[in-house]
Amino acid sequence: MKRTPEEKLLNPKPGSKIAAAKEFGIDLTLLVRQLRLTPEQRLEELQSAMESMEGITKARKKFRQNKIS
Amino acid sequence: MIELKKAIKSLSENNVDFVIVGGVALKLHSSAYVTLDLDFCYARTKENLAKIVSALEPFNPRPRDFPENLPYFFDERSLQNATNFTFQTSIGDIDLLGEVAGVGTYSEVKLMSDIFELYGYDVQVLSISGLIKAKRAAGRTKDLLVLPELEALREALSDDED
Repeated sequence: MKRTPEEKLLNPKPGSKIAAAKEFGIDLTLLVRQLRLTPEQRLEELQSAMESMEGITKARKKFRQNKIS
Repeated sequence: MIELKKAIKSLSENNVDFVIVGGVALKLHSSAYVTLDLDFCYARTKENLAKIVSALEPFNPRPRDFPENLPYFFDERSLQNATNFTFQTSIGDIDLLGEVAGVGTYSEVKLMSDIFELYGYDVQVLSISGLIKAKRAAGRTKDLLVLPELEALREALSDDED
């Protein structure tokens, strides 16, 4: 019986590319979660991650400026 | 940071021939990768360059490495003068690629793309196999690091399993 992408990622066959990715350090559960989203939801999540990263960058800049002055 | 919805909608509304590549394509294929810009490969026909100007002009594009004190005119002629562009715009950074290393020009990139429905439009996105080719050809550490994840996704989504 054919396994779904989710089943393949959660139970990788030894010697597979998925098993190699797990060995490399990829968190396969993150990929499973992404696969459950629609493409637009994936972009919404990316947009939100970008906003967080931008917030951190701004905070870091402000911290450095305050340290200098 | 790029406002993805605005950028993709404007390109689609103006019927630009484009294929999303790079980090946004990775994300659409379920990668956990995070990027801050939008990269797309575009057809270099005169007609398409005019459409790109219509789509992006409202966002005041300027090359990111262009001196701030000099005027820059974003028009068809400026797009004809080079192949790849790295623009900063009022909605974030947008990179235009006339060619993707390892894949080719727009027509070849389009052949290796999948269609995603985004915001009511059919949008071309470089396939996982295309992304693997492009990342291998780019060969930088940051490109090679995403290969295990992409290969895992391709295997998971494949109909074949040994």
